[in-house]
Amino acid sequence: MLTKFYLLFGGAVVAAYLAAAALGWEVGSPQRQMLPADVRNSPGGYRSFHFWHAGYRGGK
Amino acid sequence: MSTVQANCPACGAEVLFKKGSSVVVVCSYCNSVVARTDRGLEDLGRVAEVTDSGSPLEVGLRGVYRGTAFELTGRAQLGHAAGGMWDEWYAAFADGRWGWLAEAQGRFYMSFQAPASVHVPPFEELNVSAPVPGIPVAVPLVVAEKGDARMVAAEGEIPYKLIPGESYQYADLSGAGGVFATIDYSEEAALVFVGREVEFEELGIAATERTREREARKVASAQLSCPNCGGPLELRAPDAAERVTCPNCGSLLDINQGKLRYLTTLKFVGFKFDIPLGAVAEFEGQKMTVIGQMTRSVEFEGTRYFWQEYLLYNPAVGFRWLVQSDGHWSYVRPVPPGEVTDGDKYARFGGRRFKKFQDATARVEYVAGEFYWKVEAGEQARAVDYVNAPGMLSKETSSFGGSQEVNWSHGTYMPVRDVAKMFGVELPRPTAPVAPNQPFPHKRVYKYWALFLLVALLASLAATLFDARRKIFEQTFVLQPQPTSTPTPDAAAATPATTTTGRPRVIRLPDGRTVTIPPGGAPVISPSPGTFTGTIPTPVEGGQVIFTDAFEIAPRQNLRVTAETNVDQSYMFVGGDFINEETGLVQQFDIPVEFYSGVEGGESWTEGKKEEDVYISALPGGRYTMRLEAQWEDWKGPSEPRLTVRVEQGVARGLNPALALIAISVIPLLVAFRHFSFERKRWADSAFNPYESSDSSE
Repeated sequence: MLTKFYLLFGGAVVAAYLAAAALGWEVGSPQRQMLPADVRNSPGGYRSFHFWHAGYRGGK
Repeated sequence: MSTVQANCPACGAEVLFKKGSSVVVVCSYCNSVVARTDRGLEDLGRVAEVTDSGSPLEVGLRGVYRGTAFELTGRAQLGHAAGGMWDEWYAAFADGRWGWLAEAQGRFYMSFQAPASVHVPPFEELNVSAPVPGIPVAVPLVVAEKGDARMVAAEGEIPYKLIPGESYQYADLSGAGGVFATIDYSEEAALVFVGREVEFEELGIAATERTREREARKVASAQLSCPNCGGPLELRAPDAAERVTCPNCGSLLDINQGKLRYLTTLKFVGFKFDIPLGAVAEFEGQKMTVIGQMTRSVEFEGTRYFWQEYLLYNPAVGFRWLVQSDGHWSYVRPVPPGEVTDGDKYARFGGRRFKKFQDATARVEYVAGEFYWKVEAGEQARAVDYVNAPGMLSKETSSFGGSQEVNWSHGTYMPVRDVAKMFGVELPRPTAPVAPNQPFPHKRVYKYWALFLLVALLASLAATLFDARRKIFEQTFVLQPQPTSTPTPDAAAATPATTTTGRPRVIRLPDGRTVTIPPGGAPVISPSPGTFTGTIPTPVEGGQVIFTDAFEIAPRQNLRVTAETNVDQSYMFVGGDFINEETGLVQQFDIPVEFYSGVEGGESWTEGKKEEDVYISALPGGRYTMRLEAQWEDWKGPSEPRLTVRVEQGVARGLNPALALIAISVIPLLVAFRHFSFERKRWADSAFNPYESSDSSE
């Protein structure tokens, strides 16, 4: 039972790794968002949008 | 080839020497052994009439062995010290040779006399299992049996001077691949016969009416009556059985030519047998019948341990055993001694090494059913077991008077549910946690582990060797520095006691020195320790946003974004976004860069790097613009802040294969831990426990 489970589990892990290598997946990639169409179509486009990064990020 | 006709010196009947090289002929009328000598015929005395041993052979049969025709001209029956008997047939070959064809327990051994120049050790120097040098065969030979043989009966023409009733010493030798030899000490200079075990079919003997009858009879049972109680009993192997017990009164009976003789009444010892006599199950593709049940025991430190053996029989296969110990089962088949090499700690058989597990004197406690040797309660043998799961190699050495014999057998572990299913009976669960030859059930996990590791490592190696990385963007930005620090009247208020990260905080003073404030410690001024009077500057934050020109990103390739700065004693935080100009997809990323250095306790230290990177999963192919927002605090670099951003695709990364290796290794490591515990339990009852020394030290 354990052997069969491991065969499936290990096979899935290796398959996932091979798929990641083939498709360029990375573990823990940062989030993605979509710019609303009205923002893209507005004057200045995404350059005038204000959801970008802001604020203190760390340091000493 | 001329036939010599003569008259028996004892009875006057006609005797024929059909083979020119035969030495004696047994008179078919009076059983006198007639020898031809230089002075004429000589009567050597009478032998008993041969008994029907159930052999498929008979005098006069012709066959072809390894391309040479032969004829069986005679036969002798020899008695064994243990009470049994075997047949020896004499084959006159067309090329003038004589072959000795021994037959015992359904096995055949064809041998030919070796040249007289072969010298062998004296009988007294031979030991069972010990090698015998000097025999002209390709493989080493060991002594399988040594003892006395007695000439009991004979018929036909025989190629040597057979003396009725004469006893002589002999040794049977066994080698790998069925090689066989016999040393005959009947003459002053020992005679050596070498050959091999052969199948009946290899003798090229066409089936005669007699052989067909014998074969048919071998599979038929015989109905007899017990001489003690008169009750009926059935012989399931009438041609092979030497002993049988009465199912009605429990008497142990001797079988001699189909006649039963009462020996003793056995007292039941041990545990009840779960598989009945007569039960049938299929092993090795053949139906085997349980014809005997035996309880045996060994004693360790005053305690007697019992196990059960079931004798299985099929005329075409021979005898096999099914052994049950503590509820664990093994299927056991005999092994020629010459196939095994054994030492103090290990034995080798079939290319495998078996580790010694037990060495004890085994005793027969109780028997029921039929047996092919003259078994009796109390019979003892030295039993040495070697294990290599699922196999167990057993060596049993026994003595009968001056005779010694060694028997090797190989057992294969069988799950109790399989045995129960095969016989259609209910069997109790094992009482011992692990049997000596029980295989660890999850061993195949290691094979799969190795396979997965190999695939993952090869894939990782291929990704590294064929690294398809390419740079798709690189640009250096000169950022606008912020105004200088604002003096603060209250130095203590402007200087936090600790840092957000718990690391020393370093502040550059207006006079060029630095103040290092360790977490929870007093500030240290370097390089010249001392006091500072004045104001400590308050950190001032700065920042700038940049949009790059659009560039192409290929699909199905990861991205690595590297930020390189000239930051010193400070940090620069780079927040970035890839923006797909067509779809509006935004992929965020953060790259914090910080670099600090100083001297503490006389030792210099650095922390952080001026270059950091981040990996991002592949984006849909298309044109992207990058938005970069750089933030920093108290820029103190030698020049204005500079930021170089580089974007690469198809970069092989070690993290993914490392995570895959960890993921596929967790279960095997847990299994290995369990395996270790399993092995400790296996060897717990062994006198050769390899874990014992570590146990005693605990």
